Amino acid sequence: MASIQGLFRKRLVICVGAGGVGKTTTAAALALAGALHARRTAVITVDPARRLKDALGLDGLSTQPQAVAIGSSAHFDALALDTKRTFDALIERFAPNPAVAARILANRLYQELSNELAGSAEYMAMEKLHELLHLRRYQVLIVDTPPSAHARDLLAAPNRLANLLASRAVSFLQTPAGLVGGSTSAIRRLTLSALLKALQRWTGLDLLHDLADFANAFEHMIEGFQRRAEEVSRLLRAPSTAFVLVTTPEPHTIETAISFHRELLDDGFPVAGIVANRVLAFPRLDETDGTAATWDAGLRAKLLRNYGELHQLSRRDRGALRRLQAETGAPLLAAVPAVSVAPTSLAGLERFARLLVPI
Amino acid sequence: MRGPRLLFVTGKGGVGKTTVAAALGQHAAEHGHRTLIVETASDGRLARLFGQHALAATPRRLRAGLNAVRVDARELVEEYFSRLLRIRLLSKRLLASNAFNTLTAAAPGITEFLLLQKLLDWIEPGFGRRRGYELIIVDGPGTGHALKLLRTPRALATMVPGGPLGKSARRLLALLGDHSRTQVLLVSLPDEMSVRETIETQQALEGDLALRVTRPVINRVFPHRFSAAEVQLIEQDGDLNGASLPPLLAAARFAIACRREAERHVGHLRRALGVSPIILRQLFTSDLHAADLEAFGRTLGRAVLEYEGAKETGTTHPSTSLSRAASRGSGQAKHVSRP
Repeated sequence: MASIQGLFRKRLVICVGAGGVGKTTTAAALALAGALHARRTAVITVDPARRLKDALGLDGLSTQPQAVAIGSSAHFDALALDTKRTFDALIERFAPNPAVAARILANRLYQELSNELAGSAEYMAMEKLHELLHLRRYQVLIVDTPPSAHARDLLAAPNRLANLLASRAVSFLQTPAGLVGGSTSAIRRLTLSALLKALQRWTGLDLLHDLADFANAFEHMIEGFQRRAEEVSRLLRAPSTAFVLVTTPEPHTIETAISFHRELLDDGFPVAGIVANRVLAFPRLDETDGTAATWDAGLRAKLLRNYGELHQLSRRDRGALRRLQAETGAPLLAAVPAVSVAPTSLAGLERFARLLVPI
Repeated sequence: MRGPRLLFVTGKGGVGKTTVAAALGQHAAEHGHRTLIVETASDGRLARLFGQHALAATPRRLRAGLNAVRVDARELVEEYFSRLLRIRLLSKRLLASNAFNTLTAAAPGITEFLLLQKLLDWIEPGFGRRRGYELIIVDGPGTGHALKLLRTPRALATMVPGGPLGKSARRLLALLGDHSRTQVLLVSLPDEMSVRETIETQQALEGDLALRVTRPVINRVFPHRFSAAEVQLIEQDGDLNGASLPPLLAAARFAIACRREAERHVGHLRRALGVSPIILRQLFTSDLHAADLEAFGRTLGRAVLEYEGAKETGTTHPSTSLSRAASRGSGQAKHVSRP
């Protein structure tokens, strides 16, 4: 029987799900609960709400682990992800010399790429966890992931970036003039050159130069990227890794969770189970319940109506979770009751963690 | 309603963009305006709201006066380049997977531009069509991507000043910059992250891009249920909480806390932007009923569409107090609770 405590026997726990389902809070709470289970734990968060960041004592710029103390006896480490900064650091490490690094960092296309394209936030989350696992400082590493519509965007990012850089399209753009020669068929050459003209019309020559420059500068780094991408990919499928599907019972997020689960399985990633947040649950109304019996009839009617509406919502929630379990076959590791306010302090996070994991 | 109007709906994922677009579209169509809803996320939810399976790449009728269409980035790029290259089969192969990524990387803004170009086609009456749409509602991407989209024409006009591309860019720029024709509608939820993002986005849209933004929408606001005296009664036993609380009181306290939280965020948004948000209430049914969609449409239509004597209202909107909006909301509840 899968239990949520089972996650603390894993080395790597990855929280995935749609945006706004409480992924970051769940990841932070898991780290806190892990620490209370006497495990050396760290959490990597992505774009935490400011108040949660304050609660964790993260100043937003630090990508170095910071200790978060729970009472006097336990603590866990937390760090926030800064995509741009991590990407730059990677370039600096892989580039053959500082001049090449500087050239890439100043490249317009690189700036575009590192900010928006090729799932760089996703890539960086994977990159950071690789780095931390190699430190071997933690027994359990909890990873919050950027909101993605598809699991594939997230997990294929390392491969995608490496492939993009190694793709033939880039190499032909490196030397547009070389197109005239080559061994490919005449029609193909014509098409390529027409395509190139279209591109030039679109971009102006400058951008094309940028791309060639970028591709040339990257040539030396492709191998490093590919090796790293393979390692990360292996890591994500290891038996010591567990994916946790975080969701809320809303129809929109349930659908996302179902398709996430399918993609994870298709790609061979180990899914440990589901954590459902903001689940409404109110005890059944007892006919003999004397609560508010002495209050006036108007107020009692309002109380009943309010209960009825929330009960209807909680039935919707239960139904949605049943559907999620039936569709995915994944165990429900925890259903965290709805609290009206998201945790904004360490004490609040600890309350949330105790709802999530029996301690 | 004067002239063609373009309304971009955007906000964080899951806040209810599609619901807002659908409610507004239906409302406008019922008031006799030829309306097109453009779906940019291909999850098919919009079609399902109107009892259909999926949308197509050409406008399809949802009901009288209301059409919908979906746009897909990859299809747009393929279409554009195969028109340029004329050899469809080869270009298709070239545009597959990595080459496609490279292309879009090499030409930042290309998909955004092609999408906007489509809108221009639909708005302006063209060959073989008697009249264009009076209202186009874009069920847009999330805020980050929407900002990028709306920034594209300006970037392009600077980058490619001449030629047909430059001309298109300038036409788009004129359309987006015309406050009587184009507006952006931001949808958020009553929570910290969502409200913060709305504030930042509105500032970027109005400041940097000089676009017109409507009053923001806050979706899923808990209705106002209990008077101050009743709240005091319900909360008087401060030590009772959690599982030990009788169900009636637990539910009441939960509703009160949710309402409080929502009011806090509505207030925050109002103070930050200087306008009253449009409030859409939390629904308690599992599906969105037709009556709910109609009620949302009325609330939104009143605030956004300005049917008669449309004027630049800028930021001087009549301030609707939250409690008034909410009591209107609870008045709709008899429709809502219909099974």
